[in-house]
Amino acid sequence: MSMHWAALLTNAACNSSPRIDPQGVAVWALQFTPRVAQKEHTVWLEVTQSMRLFGGEEPLHQHVAAGAAELGIRALAWAPTSLAALACARMGIRDGFAMPLAQVLDPLPIESMDAVNAHQATLARLGCKTLADVRKLPRGGISRRFDSQLLLALDQAYGLRPEGYPWVKVPETFSAKLELPGRVDTAPALMFGARRLLVQMGGWLSARQYGVTAFTLHWCHDAMRAREAGEGGDITVRTAQPTRNVDHLSRLLGENLAKVQLLAPAGELVLRATEVTPCIEESRSLLPDVRTCGEAVDQVLERIEARLGHKRVLRPRLVEDTRMAWMVHWQPINAQKPATKVRQVPGPQPTWILKNPLKLDVRNECPLYQGPLQLLLGPERIEGGWWHRAKDAEGGQHSLQVARDYWVALSQHAGALWIFQQRLPRNEVASWYLHGIFA
Amino acid sequence: MSAALQWIVNATPPPGDASPQSFGHPFDIGQLPGSVAQAIWRGSEVAQAGQSVVSSGWTALDAQLPGGGWPCNALTELLQPQPALCEWRLLSPALARLAAGGGHILLVGPPKRPHAPGLVKLGITEKNIVWIAADTPAERLWSTEQLVKANPRGGAILAWLPQARAEQLRRLQVHAQSCDCPVFLFRPETAQLDASPAPLRVLTTLGPDWNLHVHLLKRKGALLDGPIVLSALPGTLASVLTPRLMHPNQLLASQPYLARYQTRAMNPVGRCRADLHPPGRLKSAQIQVD
Repeated sequence: MSMHWAALLTNAACNSSPRIDPQGVAVWALQFTPRVAQKEHTVWLEVTQSMRLFGGEEPLHQHVAAGAAELGIRALAWAPTSLAALACARMGIRDGFAMPLAQVLDPLPIESMDAVNAHQATLARLGCKTLADVRKLPRGGISRRFDSQLLLALDQAYGLRPEGYPWVKVPETFSAKLELPGRVDTAPALMFGARRLLVQMGGWLSARQYGVTAFTLHWCHDAMRAREAGEGGDITVRTAQPTRNVDHLSRLLGENLAKVQLLAPAGELVLRATEVTPCIEESRSLLPDVRTCGEAVDQVLERIEARLGHKRVLRPRLVEDTRMAWMVHWQPINAQKPATKVRQVPGPQPTWILKNPLKLDVRNECPLYQGPLQLLLGPERIEGGWWHRAKDAEGGQHSLQVARDYWVALSQHAGALWIFQQRLPRNEVASWYLHGIFA
Repeated sequence: MSAALQWIVNATPPPGDASPQSFGHPFDIGQLPGSVAQAIWRGSEVAQAGQSVVSSGWTALDAQLPGGGWPCNALTELLQPQPALCEWRLLSPALARLAAGGGHILLVGPPKRPHAPGLVKLGITEKNIVWIAADTPAERLWSTEQLVKANPRGGAILAWLPQARAEQLRRLQVHAQSCDCPVFLFRPETAQLDASPAPLRVLTTLGPDWNLHVHLLKRKGALLDGPIVLSALPGTLASVLTPRLMHPNQLLASQPYLARYQTRAMNPVGRCRADLHPPGRLKSAQIQVD
């Protein structure tokens, strides 16, 4: 059975981009196939078994190439054997399947294979420049004159002898490090490096069938820092739904980084997946959707929360309380939802409420709000909260007890209003407050 | 258009009477083949087909809205004399239906705090409500744009954008064309003087006796003169209003000055609602008539 190998060279990246860690690339590559091998700076993938899953040879090639480009890997080659793929990658040949393998390999120089290159001096004196020249030498002579590795490597490269590798195992936890090519002064500029780490994490999550719910980006300040700046800083990003969508994660991280100020220039990044849960991806349907669906609403809300700040995107949680201000707790969208069913408060309830009740002017014992108010219904007496105490700024406590008479009032310009009168001890004049609007 | 009609009339002359007088007859759309008749739009009618809508829940309003409801795939501008005036009275029938189907009701930058128990009573359950407390105009526009782009199918976007400019609204309108849910923008009454790219602009004012006067300032189709009157009682008051209070303006008209409430009307024993007494304890205020 013919094999389908890819070789990725991690050390051939251009100088401006950060040096990528080959172990990290191997972990990323595990999303395509369980057969991933890594030796020195090279990562091999054997993808024969994964062809159908990714929709054939061409889509799989594009998939791997796109991911590799995001990781900053330029040297990538495909060939029927691993050593041939490595030789092609070194020489910049993309597709080793274009011609029969012997025709692809023969014109390559002897530097393209490590085992051959080890005897470069001797072979040069024999007049050998290409692999074809070496193959033309008598086999018996080669095995006597050189070590056995040369003949073995040549046979393996040409597919005459089998190859064996110890496969890379998927690590239990994810932590990846990236050394930045230069000092980075602003937090948003970290995104360039962080994106690569996120791509690696996406590969690891796919390989383990996990979705991430929290991940931490840690940056180390470089050695030329002020003393008070400390070792570095970190930022933890949480998501409501487990996800492995790299685009979503990088947008979330970008929004969070936009608000961070670096105390000193950063030189190194570390990304950790702190909380992961098993995640089953939705199956793709046979028939395409009529209209391409946008992002899931939860993801957008998370992104908006990341931009606007904490406690700005809220969902209500009803509480069994009779006091208007305490009937609802507005909590962040990620918060846990209680399972208990809350009984509805009887009687009318306004649809808008003022955070702090507005004191109303009174003329002729009649409250005013955009003109005189007509009292329609009432009083609805609300009394409670004697158990509820809150700390104030001075450290003392004050009671949150209320004793109020609520009325429905009609205003000519503002519609139906929910106003109340504070109940006070005898002989004190109670004032009127606006608390809600029946809009 | 007229050339096309002429061609149709010429192509099928009435039998026995091919004289030019036949041009003077009123044009009967029933004579045309079905596919042609559907494609013809006359100036007097409201646009009907071609877009998905969400029923507004008001029969009188649906009859006048293009397509028979609040449009999806387009912005709807709702103008009011002041913010937090009658949003839920106008929209709650439509929103309750969307919420019952599991759609998110997304509020961007509302002028006051939404009161969830009141909304639950209108049929909008608390798990469907999302309040995005965006303060600055830029934050509101950005959040609205992100939500419109995300296309929260089956839900509704309600955004309060009093200061939005026409080019900003145009950008939203372009995104809204690929959004399958209604997008309501709340703006002040004065915005009606500015041009707007929204295909539907509605001005709502308070009328007498719990009525809402809905003016369609702009719609696809002929202009509508005069308001549509909806008797929109605030949902949570419906169960407690007495028949007399259904017409508060008659009460106001029958007396020279506003009613004085009487403290006698209060229950002398303070009742604590923490123990959740059965409902129905509200009494209508005693109104003194001289």
